[in-house]
Amino acid sequence: MVLTPPWGALALALVASRAAAQEQPAAALMAGAGSIRGRVEVRRTPHAEPARPQVAELGMPAAREAVDRRRSVVYLETVPQSAFEAPSPLRAVLDQRNETFVPPVVAITVGSSVDFPNSDKVYHNVFSLSKTRRFDLGRYPRGQSRSVVFDRTGVVRVFCEIHSHMSAYILVFAHRFFAVTDVDGRYRIDGILPGSYTLALWNEGNVRLRREVRVEAGQVLEQDLAVE
Amino acid sequence: MSFSTARTAALLFAVSGLAAADAPGGDRTTFFGGRLRLGGEVSGSIAPEDKGFFNYTDYETNTLRLFRIDVLAEAQLHSKAALLFDARMDNLQSPRVYALYLRLRPWSSRDFDLQLGLVPTVFGSFPRRRYAFDNPLPSLPLVYQYLTTIREDALPRNAEEVVAQRGRGWLVRYPIGDPSFGPGRPLVNAERWDAGIQARIGVHPVSLSLAVTQGTLSHPTVEDDNGGKQISGRLAWMPGPSFTAGLSASSGDFVADEARDELPGGGPGRYRQQALGVDLEWARGHLILRGEAVFSSWHLPAVDATRIEEPLDALGAFVEARYKLRPGLYVASRVDRLAMAEIGSNLGYLSWDADVTRFELGIGYSPLRHVLLKTAWQHNRRDGGRVRQSDLFAVQVLLWY
Repeated sequence: MVLTPPWGALALALVASRAAAQEQPAAALMAGAGSIRGRVEVRRTPHAEPARPQVAELGMPAAREAVDRRRSVVYLETVPQSAFEAPSPLRAVLDQRNETFVPPVVAITVGSSVDFPNSDKVYHNVFSLSKTRRFDLGRYPRGQSRSVVFDRTGVVRVFCEIHSHMSAYILVFAHRFFAVTDVDGRYRIDGILPGSYTLALWNEGNVRLRREVRVEAGQVLEQDLAVE
Repeated sequence: MSFSTARTAALLFAVSGLAAADAPGGDRTTFFGGRLRLGGEVSGSIAPEDKGFFNYTDYETNTLRLFRIDVLAEAQLHSKAALLFDARMDNLQSPRVYALYLRLRPWSSRDFDLQLGLVPTVFGSFPRRRYAFDNPLPSLPLVYQYLTTIREDALPRNAEEVVAQRGRGWLVRYPIGDPSFGPGRPLVNAERWDAGIQARIGVHPVSLSLAVTQGTLSHPTVEDDNGGKQISGRLAWMPGPSFTAGLSASSGDFVADEARDELPGGGPGRYRQQALGVDLEWARGHLILRGEAVFSSWHLPAVDATRIEEPLDALGAFVEARYKLRPGLYVASRVDRLAMAEIGSNLGYLSWDADVTRFELGIGYSPLRHVLLKTAWQHNRRDGGRVRQSDLFAVQVLLWY
């Protein structure tokens, strides 16, 4: 079930979290902090980005690996103010392999960079026209990489100009309280100060679930989530 | 289904497809578990009236004043078989089938494919990036669009009748065969595909495609009009991702029975179109360079003096560049030349059709992934005909899904 319009709600959550957060000292973040972990079950059949019909080709396109569209991002919509005081930029990798982006979903903190290596024999042309970050990396051969720094929060949808079926998401958060689910749908968010939060689940462009949770000191809160 | 119903259906499909195109997380263009995939384009081009008919096709439409709905479908029948379909509707006229063929990959472990039906031409490179999405400018290269004064269904009696038509390929008439006015044919027709069978085999870094089809490069057709076949092929060499070179050739019976039957003695000769082509592409970073050259030769019957003793030869070539300035924004340019060989007549030696030169400079902008706006200035110059040159400013809006 989709709870809110897809882009605006997430972007709002990412940006508004600072204003809504409580003032907390940074050192207190880890002391007595709790965690949330669980498993996300995506019950609907995930759609792969379809390739356009290859009517003008002279043969069958190469077989591609199925993209795991069940990958989700679980995050806290509001976090303590102190979470913003020690920004920790990440360095993520979004590989271009067998005409797919691997992984299909990347989550980073604002100021982080993402490397886009080309692992295919053919060219790709990675680009995004998202308002959060517009970029176009051009064409470069196998073994080379380009990097993009993401300095605004929001959702960035990434495509390949040459292969219309290639797409990926980059979610840029203002804080570090998020996790991308693994192949089994498991996630874990650590270092959460005791308090009440809204836990949100994002999948395939939409915030699909929100749940109010309370984390106690030292607690590992189990939260299994499911979307239809 | 009536034509009006078909038009409405195509319009509805196009609109619904476009609405689905940017929907995150949704996929409303695949059905039956991905076995049926749909795609398409809707494009509209606006330009001043082309009084020199430089941009007309043999469908008698101006490529710079065109509203086109293009619907694509690919049905995966089996892991080794797919059915492909492309229908187009120009200026809300009756839809026409552009492609309809079966694609087979008999051995999944080998890079070998067969295609049967109304298939894409193997010749050259541009026809297979024909869709407006792949074309950085609103127009088509002269080689693939410009109407020469050659017709397969109407023939001149002598060289004087040929040179009298110089520069009038959009509406030409000859006495043998169909006596009515009609459009001539381009060197290679990118607006129609041919019916037949083709095979492609790839052994890296080389790929060879061969086809046997009903029509010719100038006049692809579904129904055989002369009992002859065309053999065409392309050898492509791709040593790396940045560079592709292709060498193409074709030979096919060109003159239709309708005209040949009126020739003295029933036209016993074989009147062929033969062509050779070279295509090159190089890309790196934000730059793409492409170039093609096509030499075409039409063998026409010699009937009366001054007899057309030699084949009518034409050489067309273009070079095209596209450079991205920033995300979603590019500049593009194409330099295009079409030159015809001279033939002797009682008017002296003249090229059998007027030579044409075209220069284009354009900008493309994508505000959204599925939207492309193109604008271009086009200068045409022709060494004959009523209108010798024209400057046109064109705008094209393209939505694809």
